[in-house]
Amino acid sequence: MAETIEALERRIDELRVAVREAVLAGDRTLAGQRRSALRSAERAWEDALDQAAPDQTETPEQAEAPEQTETSAPDEPSGRAGSLLPLREQVYGALSLLQVPAAPKLIATVHEAFFGATFPTTRVTSLKRDEERSFRTAPFARPYYICAALSADYLAPSRGLLAVSTWPLELRMIGSLSPRVDFLTAAIRVAEAIERIPEPPAAARRLLERFAASVSGAISPGRGADPAAVSEAARAELAVHRDADTRVRRAAAERARGLHHAEQLFGTFAFRDRAGDGADARDGADAQDGADAAGRAAGK
Amino acid sequence: MTGRQPSATAQYALDRLRGRALPKNHDARTISALAANPGCARRALMDAAGVDKQRVAAQAGFPAPFGQSRFAIVRGNAFEAQVKENGAAQLLMLLRDLLGLDVSEVGYADFNDVGGNSSAEVRHRHTRHVLTAPDQPGRTLLDHPLLRLKVGGRLAYLEPDLIALRLDGTFHVIEIKSFAVIDGQADPGKVAAAAIQSAVYVRALRDLVTEAGGDPAAVSHATILVAPRDFSSQPTAASLDVRRQLGVLDRQLSRIASIEDLLAQYPDTLTFDLDPDAQGRPRRPAAELTAAVGQVPANYAPECLATCELCFLCRDEAAGTTGALGKPVREDLGGIEYIAQARSLARGQVPAPEQAEIAAQLLRAAQLREQLLAEAVEPK
Repeated sequence: MAETIEALERRIDELRVAVREAVLAGDRTLAGQRRSALRSAERAWEDALDQAAPDQTETPEQAEAPEQTETSAPDEPSGRAGSLLPLREQVYGALSLLQVPAAPKLIATVHEAFFGATFPTTRVTSLKRDEERSFRTAPFARPYYICAALSADYLAPSRGLLAVSTWPLELRMIGSLSPRVDFLTAAIRVAEAIERIPEPPAAARRLLERFAASVSGAISPGRGADPAAVSEAARAELAVHRDADTRVRRAAAERARGLHHAEQLFGTFAFRDRAGDGADARDGADAQDGADAAGRAAGK
Repeated sequence: MTGRQPSATAQYALDRLRGRALPKNHDARTISALAANPGCARRALMDAAGVDKQRVAAQAGFPAPFGQSRFAIVRGNAFEAQVKENGAAQLLMLLRDLLGLDVSEVGYADFNDVGGNSSAEVRHRHTRHVLTAPDQPGRTLLDHPLLRLKVGGRLAYLEPDLIALRLDGTFHVIEIKSFAVIDGQADPGKVAAAAIQSAVYVRALRDLVTEAGGDPAAVSHATILVAPRDFSSQPTAASLDVRRQLGVLDRQLSRIASIEDLLAQYPDTLTFDLDPDAQGRPRRPAAELTAAVGQVPANYAPECLATCELCFLCRDEAAGTTGALGKPVREDLGGIEYIAQARSLARGQVPAPEQAEIAAQLLRAAQLREQLLAEAVEPK
């Protein structure tokens, strides 16, 4: 990184003033230029922050992506509710808080609750496509990608779930118990995040209440949703499912490691175009079939 | 039974009835509509032949603005998505309360596609494979499995909202509906429709289990209806016993299988063909088509307006009959077919011997009415 975080922050401030002046002066071209300069400065700031943070680089992706090159596709800011960050960074922020694969709706709700801005979920759906395209053109050019969670049986993209490429592979595998495990984990993360904030915003409390309503024993009568109680109740139920779920996820991750990088991130489509003939072979032997696909993909 | 195929001659006759059009496949809605009015020969025949009733009705001059409202569909989908989101978190809580579902039972399997492949055939195979597997590791809720039911020799694909599976191996069909349950009460008509629809799924599921050599009793006749509570979007659940609906459905399905008897009553020349031109535009004169449809008797009741594409045609035809006023009226006026006839009997016309009893009742009712009206005019 060329500039330090502090220098970037100063520059962002200067650029904001510059944008305001240009807008007030009615000079659209200049305002546009300054806006895009502001956006790239903000991106650089995010990247610098990522690198400065004591990061947990468990996956090779992170190590192989030393620098952020110029991004092209999803850098439109979400203008509606005020966040100037590109959509992918907002999604990244929400997913980093949850630390589990989540559906666009939950991502948007979490972002609204903790970061104060929301975005239409339809845009999130196209985000994954953009990310995949970007990865296939220039693999590992970005420090992270918003990618898919994979179904544990066929390693195909799990419908409607988004994840972050830098997470451990098994976290992105979805077995049959995983939706519940991830929901409970998300409830704990939300509860913890609320405990960290001195005065949690109303939207965050509402989110916690919604989680609490779906966790047995999380709501104590008369007290509403208390973060500590929610996370305790969620942990108690989590203990029931965790071992079985972890086994399935580990086994799936082991198979997924044999896939190409792009397939590891965005899922395999081995079955997609073989409507008729693939079905028979698959009926009997889920696991073996997946393993074969993995083996083939790895070129073994 | 349900799997029985009509004979080749019957199939030929059905193809002739349908004419030059692709057969319309059944779905859960049409199958349940079939069971809703079992006495209607017109519907039974047209459905068995796979006639596109919507187009026939339009060509005959009685287009029905039929099908679910767009808004209802959007609302239904949104509610279903809400109940199922985050691993069906809301539903799990309901089932824990209602069925006493164990905390360990949280497995959730998505059948909307199979490894990115969403073709009906592949999904059905996958469903069959999973549902008939000897052990069911961690699969409690099956989201949109694809079942199949043979109706009149043709396969209809059916997609229940969810199937819940309990530890003891009993399947429960779950139907998610977006009509409100207010104070524990819901619109009886809508509940009845949901019950018969669930019964269709239970039947299909039982067929699947039986085919695989299992015990059909493994599919519970107690289905679960999930609907919004009061005026909120919070879901509530109730258990629905669909044994009666299953009985009606089975009778109706076997009636389609034995469609020969019904076919034998009509001439070989009868057809509902629309005489389409090269672009598929129907050319058959409305009067001729109406006459063809009219050869097969219908059993019109006001409820048909909610379930049948031909409803306006049949209603027009039934105008002036007691049946048009609803099943209870027709039953009360047993033996009297027309409203005008009932009125003249009430005015004192001498009845035919077999109508003497009902005529006396009508006369008495008319007198009472006169008396009450007279009192209302000059109060004492």
